[in-house]
Amino acid sequence: MASPPVTLVDTQRWFQRAVLDPGGPSDSIDEVLTRSEELSARQRLDVYRRGYRLRLLETMRGLHPALRVLLGPDLFDDFALDYLDAYPSRSYTLFQLDARFTDHLATRRPDRDLPGGRREGWVDVIVDLARYERAFAEVYDDPGPATAPFLRVLRVCAPVHTYHATVRHGLPAEPPALGPDPVHLALSRRDYAVVTNELEPDAYRLLSSPLAEGRPPRS
Amino acid sequence: MTVRDAPAGEPAPRRPTAYPLPECDLGFGLGLRTPHLRHVLTHWPQVDWFELISENFLDSGGYPRYALDRIAERYPVVMHGVSLSIGSTDPLDRDYLGRLRHLATATGARWVSDHICWTGVAGLNTHDLLPVPFTEESLAHMVRRVRTVQDFLERPLVLENPSSYAEFTGSVMSEWEFVSRLAAESGCGLLLDVNNVYVSSVNHGFDPEAYVRALPHDRVVQIHLAGHTHLGTHVVDTHDQPVADPVWRLYRLATSLTGPVATLLEWDDHIPPFPELLDELAKARRYTGAARDERARVLCG
Repeated sequence: MASPPVTLVDTQRWFQRAVLDPGGPSDSIDEVLTRSEELSARQRLDVYRRGYRLRLLETMRGLHPALRVLLGPDLFDDFALDYLDAYPSRSYTLFQLDARFTDHLATRRPDRDLPGGRREGWVDVIVDLARYERAFAEVYDDPGPATAPFLRVLRVCAPVHTYHATVRHGLPAEPPALGPDPVHLALSRRDYAVVTNELEPDAYRLLSSPLAEGRPPRS
Repeated sequence: MTVRDAPAGEPAPRRPTAYPLPECDLGFGLGLRTPHLRHVLTHWPQVDWFELISENFLDSGGYPRYALDRIAERYPVVMHGVSLSIGSTDPLDRDYLGRLRHLATATGARWVSDHICWTGVAGLNTHDLLPVPFTEESLAHMVRRVRTVQDFLERPLVLENPSSYAEFTGSVMSEWEFVSRLAAESGCGLLLDVNNVYVSSVNHGFDPEAYVRALPHDRVVQIHLAGHTHLGTHVVDTHDQPVADPVWRLYRLATSLTGPVATLLEWDDHIPPFPELLDELAKARRYTGAARDERARVLCG
């Protein structure tokens, strides 16, 4: 059995590991934490372990309400907990909690080893809906550039924006249907509300070019 | 600006308090929560002041920040943070502190508060208020960091006693002794959360009134009120229901000892319509009136 922590540094590392590790600590608990009249030291630690997961899970549910409806609450929670275990927060703000969620979903997709043309379209819908929800939240509240209107452009595999809007209004929504062509979207903030417009492919290319973002063109 | 932050274990240097505590009789305030922003901007309700969660506005440039700026023009505001991690053995986050200072200046915040806790180490943030071992090492470490933060913010820091669910075998003093010494040695103000005192008293089996009586009452800048949930084996600080009777009794005791002090009702889950929050806050006015009468009787004999 490992020695119990003695210094403040070691104690905090031990405690954090005990809270974050999905399996929990295997030893030293009774040497580090006291019991109460009602609860053992492990049960008292479990209050923090449960609280950590539930708090961050609720944040993820709030950041991705449409994806939760699309997947169903149980599958969404599985995906979110898998993500939180892989990428614990490093930010002072919970608004950044899902910053890598889209990438995580893309790397976890079951058909990730297949060529692009043979991948499952419904997985693309999941990833693109998560990406759209992240962009929507950023456009809503991000400080953005000081001198230009806030704008974000996306190319997605299906009309995830209409699905997202329907869910936000509390209405029953059909899952976004894959079409023959991608959908190009522009999200902007006007009068403190997010406005999403579909773009023609040429307009998308123009707005997503380096010049549109104030960067010099590649030579 | 460089934030000097010595490693844990180094003794805290002695020096006099650098920053006077702010005037603290703001009256009765509410926690400013997102679902109520539009209501406040539309109705301008009769509330003495608002407390904002700092992290909700540090990077905001949309409607929440627009609403906050309008509200700060009409009401006194104070900032209450959850990610300072003053007890952590990680270095202080200079970028975070800079954003805190900027927001405090922009909103004219009367004071900046956070919790006597740590939220993570090794660069991680659990977004929880993790418990502190009540040891000399931990106290010296926190005193040193409070002074550093106060110098950075150029104002006193106000720190709150959090609810806790576990205690360390290595603790050598009570929580109230730790809190009192922290205030005395660092010069920080105290945010006395009477609900947290009650929650922790049940979870750890101490007398909550003894805790409140033992604090340095002249350093209490603010009081928090909130609801909790009793799960049979322990109590959780849930902020999702009205303030419980034992907490009201603690509040009356606390205000009889501190005198008039800014009082804030927190409600973070199952948030009711704004008028219901006002009704709950009105109870605090009544309890304070009772406490004031009690205090007058004591002072006058």
